[in-house]
Order: sequence, then C-alpha cells, then structure tokens
Amino acid sequence: MSVPVAVTGLGVLSAFGHGVDRFWAALVAGESGLGPIRRFTAPPGAGPAAEVPAVEARAHVRSPLGRRIDRVSLFALAACRLALLDAGLDPTELPLARTGLALGSEFGNLDETTTFLDRLFARGAANQLLFPNLVMNAPLSYTTIELGLTGPSAMLSAGEVSGEAAVAWGAELVAEGGAEVCLAGGVDELGEVLHQALHEACLLSATPRPLDPCADGFALGEGAAVLVLESVAHARARGARVYARLVPVAGFALPAPVHGWSRDSSPLAARLAPLVADADAVVAAASGEPELDVLEAAALAAALGGRRALVTAPRAATGWFGAAGALAAATAALAVAHDLVPPTLGHLPPARHGLGVAAGRARAAEVRVAVVDGLARGGACRPLRFEAP
Amino acid sequence: MAPAVVITGLGAVTALGGDVRALAAGLAEGRCGIGRVALFAPTGRAVAAEVREEASAVVGCLPPATARRLSRPDRFALLAAAEACRTAGLEPEFGRDAGVYVGTTTGGMLATEEAYRRRRAGEDPRFRLSRLLGTPLATAAAVVSQGLGLYGPRETFSTACSSSALAVAMAADAVRRGVVPLALAVGTDGLCRLTYAGFDALQALDTEPCRPFDRDRRGLSLGEGAAALVLETDAHARARGARPRAAVLGWAATSDAHHVTAPHPDGAGALAALAGALADARVPPDAVDYVNAHGSGTRQNDAVEIGVLRRVFGRRLARLPVSSTKSQVGHCLGAAGAVEAVATVLALDDGLLPPTVNLRHLDPAWDDLDLVPEAGRRAPLGVAVSSSYGFGGHNVSLVFGRAAR
Repeated sequence: MSVPVAVTGLGVLSAFGHGVDRFWAALVAGESGLGPIRRFTAPPGAGPAAEVPAVEARAHVRSPLGRRIDRVSLFALAACRLALLDAGLDPTELPLARTGLALGSEFGNLDETTTFLDRLFARGAANQLLFPNLVMNAPLSYTTIELGLTGPSAMLSAGEVSGEAAVAWGAELVAEGGAEVCLAGGVDELGEVLHQALHEACLLSATPRPLDPCADGFALGEGAAVLVLESVAHARARGARVYARLVPVAGFALPAPVHGWSRDSSPLAARLAPLVADADAVVAAASGEPELDVLEAAALAAALGGRRALVTAPRAATGWFGAAGALAAATAALAVAHDLVPPTLGHLPPARHGLGVAAGRARAAEVRVAVVDGLARGGACRPLRFEAP
Repeated sequence: MAPAVVITGLGAVTALGGDVRALAAGLAEGRCGIGRVALFAPTGRAVAAEVREEASAVVGCLPPATARRLSRPDRFALLAAAEACRTAGLEPEFGRDAGVYVGTTTGGMLATEEAYRRRRAGEDPRFRLSRLLGTPLATAAAVVSQGLGLYGPRETFSTACSSSALAVAMAADAVRRGVVPLALAVGTDGLCRLTYAGFDALQALDTEPCRPFDRDRRGLSLGEGAAALVLETDAHARARGARPRAAVLGWAATSDAHHVTAPHPDGAGALAALAGALADARVPPDAVDYVNAHGSGTRQNDAVEIGVLRRVFGRRLARLPVSSTKSQVGHCLGAAGAVEAVATVLALDDGLLPPTVNLRHLDPAWDDLDLVPEAGRRAPLGVAVSSSYGFGGHNVSLVFGRAAR
C-alpha cells in the first residue's frame, strides 16, 4: 500500500551559513561551526557555541502578521523556503491542501519565553504580543500561514530526536498517501538561559570529541534543517533531482533512566543490528557527552559486528541542540547523493570500540545506505534510513 | 480492509477527580470543577479547573529519585496511563511493543518558571538541573514508557489545544496500519504562570467559570490534568479477552494557515477536519448522534464552531446534541483532546450525554440547538465526534462509534 518516498530538497540553516550548499561544503571540508558567543554575554570561561548567522525576516516573511515572527519560527520558515527552492518547487504552485508540514523542536522559543517571564516576575504583567510566539507550535503556525499550507501538520518534541521524529512523521505521511508533498525537519535556538544552565552544570566542552575516549562534554548549537519529501512517482513526474530515498522504519524505546542514558548497550545493539546490517554510513547521535558516547559506540560496534561502516558525528561541528537530528538527516541524504562521508571534528583515532569513525578528512565511498541512529535520553530511539534512489 | 480500532482502557486525572470513575460521576451530575486558582498567585480575579492531587502509589513504578522529581503533568500522565492500562486488563507482555503517543503544550513549566525566578533573583547561586528535568516536553512520554514498560514507538505532539487529539489520531493510525499491536494515547498539561498570564493578556479568560455557547460568554477557563486511552485492533482485544468500550472510526488533521491566535472566520480548516474525519470513518453526517465540541467559551470560537456544524449537519443539527466538556473540566490545553475523547467514549459506552454546564442563556444565534444545558441525560448513541482546534490553526476531528457487543 505504501509508496516509496524521495528527498528532493534540503534547506539548512547552520553555523556555517544559510543554504544546503554552504552546509555541505563546510561539513565536508572539516570546518567547525563553533565560535565565540555573540548573541548574549556568556559567563566568563564559557566555551564556544555554534550560532546561525542572522536571518533577515524581510527575505522570508510576506504576510503582515509575520512581522512579529520569533527567531525560531523564522528559522523554520527560512529553512522551508530554502528547501522548496532547492527542490525546484514554487510555493505558489504547491498542492496546498495536500502538502504536509512536520517540525520538531525540543525547546521552541527560548529567548522570548525568558523575556516574557522576566516582565511577568518584575511587574506582574504579561506581554500579549509575545505570548502567541511562545507556544511550542508557533513555528508550525507561522510556516503554514506564510506558505498557505492547509494539509496535515504536526509539531513534535522528542528531546534529542526532535528532528528525526519530525522527518519520520513526514515520511510516513507521504508513504501512506496522507499528503503528496511534506516539508519535514527541525529547529532549535541557542538560548542564553539554556546555555547558562548547561554551563553551570559543567556539561559543556570547549572541544567536543564525539566517540573519542577523551570526550568531556558537548558544545551547544542551533539551527534548522527541512527536507522536501514527496513520493518517488511525484518526483519523477516533475523531473526532480532525488538526493535519496527515505525508507520509513519504526521507532522504538528501550529500558533507560527517564532523564538519562542506559548503561546497557546490548538491547540497543540488538535493535540497531538489522538497521545497520547493510549500512555504508552511520550518522551518529554522539556529541561528546560521555554517557551517550559510551552507549552509542558500544551498541554500534556490536550491531555492525566487525563489518566496516563509516561513522560520522556532525554535532561536533554544528553544535548539539534538540533538533540537530534534522541536520543529521540532511547529512545522511547528502552522503548518499555525493558518495561522501564528512569527518567527525575533534575526534582522534582510535575510536571507542574500534568504530570506523571518519576522522580528519571526508571519505569518498559508495554510500548506498546511510542510517541516522537517532538516540534520545529516556530510552527513545528514532532511526532514519536513507537509500540511493 | 483496514482493521477496526477499539478502545479498551481509559484513564483520567481532572479537576473532577483523580480517576475515570470520578470524571464519569462529575459529568453525569453536571458538576463544575472550575474554582479559584490556588497553585500560584495569578493577576486579577482568577478561576481555573485545578487538579487536587492525592498521593498515589503508582509513581512507585519508577526509581524513588525519579518519582520524587516528576513534574505535576508528568505525574498526571503516569496516573492516567496506569489507570488506562489497568482498566484495559493489560498484562506486561501485551504492553511491551505498545506505542506511546503523547500530546502536551508546556510540560513541567510551572517548576521551570520557579527555578528560573529563583536563579534570576539570586536565591539560587546556580541552576540545578534536577529542578529543570521536567522542561522538555518529551519527558511525559518517557515517564509513561519507562514507568509502565511500554517499549514501542514514542511520540510527543504539541499543536496547542489539539495536541492530544492528534496523539489519539496518531495512536489509532499506528494501530490501524499495523505498526504497533497496541497503543497508549495520552494528553497531559499542568497550569502554569506563563499560560495563565498569556491567555489573560489576550483577554481570552472569563473571570467567572466559562460559559460555552452562552449569550454572555466571556472567554475560556483554563484547566489541567491528563487522560489516557488504550487502543488496539478489535481482533487483538478479543484474542486477549478485553472488552472494547468504543471504536475509533476515523480522524483527520488540517491547518488553517490563517492566524497565530484567531480561528479562521469561516472555519475552513475546522470544516475540512470534520468532513475529512467523517469521510475517513465512512460515516455519513446523518449517522452522527452526538458532538463533543471544542466549545472553549470564547466569543469567536463558539460562533465559528457552530457555523461549521451547521454546514456539516444542516437542519439535522437542531436535533443533534452538542456539548462542551470544557464547561466542567476547563480547557486542559494539551490534555483537552484526550480528556474529551475519554468523555466521548464514556458517553457512547454508558449511553449518557455529558452536559454543557453554566449555560443559562442560549445565544440567540443558536437557540434552535440542543446544547445539553446544565444536566446530562440518557440517550443511546451509535456515533459521536470530538473536535479540537489549536491555537495557530491546527484542527483535529475524531469519530468514535459504540463498540459491537
């Protein structure tokens, strides 16, 4: 019954800049998106973070209502517009009632939430103009309004796999015929208070080293990535370029502490094994957070069972954020399209458990199957599987 | 042919009480759970439907350190989910591959606000992560999944007031497509300063308990709580000897693409959702016996919603009972869709229409309609619909049917 799904467009806002070409070129070249924090005054001793260069609202907002758009919603909208442009789809020619939208975010609008609360605590007064921007689904509202999308839409929040969850939801929607086209991706912003909380908890590192035994923490980032998903038939009929096919696979959960990572990697390895059995590349969730790195490296090594697959962990370069999985999904689609696996910044071989981590420079290799393993705190797993078209 | 999806377990924590029995009794008696806000000091004269928490042994399914730090909505979710699994007669081996589909909007915001206030005021020298653990919205799903041992797919939806209606739809979708043998749909939300102040600033709150469909309605009353439903295929339920309480016949989700707070003036998206859900259920409008309305009590919503119902049901609407459960449990935001789904299932299963309370003067624009004022009443029901319309234009309609006996 279900139809194959194609990825035909990518829109990425990352610390490297705006657009998928800039993202991919920098990632493949081994550039780091981390730098000094400019958006707010970071506490003394704070390390670098990955900030997205300013996005001009005027370039993306058309409706008068959109003038009040918040930064997170603007990121989402801009990523959607860039993705459509990349897919060669004119927003005015979309089948609006048959176009879906799925966006994932862990924290939504952090900046204006603290602004709102500051005023509420100081003066007992709320800012009515800010409030509509604070609901988690604000990016979904603004984007449907700006693009006129009236089909099914969903905002998903799944912690560290918020991006993967939205991409998977969009893929299922298209595969099951619920929409002809679906824009699916994720967005999160670098918020001052989030940074402060993680900094004060000593979780951040100046040099994230994913899957490296010396890993001592992660660096915070922000960004957005949106994939244009459509049925392979729809894509072929309009002569669209196809980056990769996105093959829906079920998400699952495993026993784990509600707020943390499991220490037992074998159940995860058993579930990942069939997913990575023929994978040429794995885009890892690793960020340099030691508990996650230990779990993921052990599980992947056991799941691969000695077979070599190139593993890359883009969060070292893009920074960690809840919806970073959307950028991981874009990375996997691009790896399939270009037969190229970008390096993992900060990582020095040998990797934990002898994993084949791409370090130092990008690896050219035939990538017929790329898997995003999609691991989140609390035992959720939301993998994505991309195949050559 | 797609298999029939049935509901075999229900759970609820609302202002009317800590379980489904209390909710059912409150609905039948026409009680209103809306009263003065006690959780925090709100601005102005304030009412809301607060949950009066009672100690429960259910949280003991989690390690003590985790149980102690649960946010209120995470606790609500766990209690409602545990009740739903218990009433579904679910043995652990049936639950292992069950999916968990949650709808929520603010998660543990009340505790996060306080932690933020303390840090900003210098009362805490640094942020303590243990006080911020309930901040990510996905926490409720993790609590339910880990607490009850449900290890299928896990999703958390946040489309404002339709969040958990979407969760119910997605749970039903997963069961119908055979992705999971069994699914738990949960809606949960807790009152917090941010939501209260925000709706207050938008002048969306009634200073009296809300009066949906009333001539003098002035806005909504916020509520809080959680509700949970166990969904599985009819064949799966029968094979394990579980009694279906109702069937989920169809659903649809649409977007208004109109405004960040206001509904579409013609209700175009709401209409498409209701028509789409009936089409998905293969149920003609004439077969519908009851509408559990979004019925928030704002001037705009109720007018737009009645307009949509008139267009779908035509003249028959005059004989079709429509009521708003929000008049009794408040607007539970992310939990509203699930709470109202439970109310609708109870109506079908018990043959008892829940009322719209606080409805003293019907708006003259719809004085021809049966809005089940003040008291519930007995009525055999075959098919019922429940609609939820989220801030920002995210509409979900669900169609339920009485279970085959």
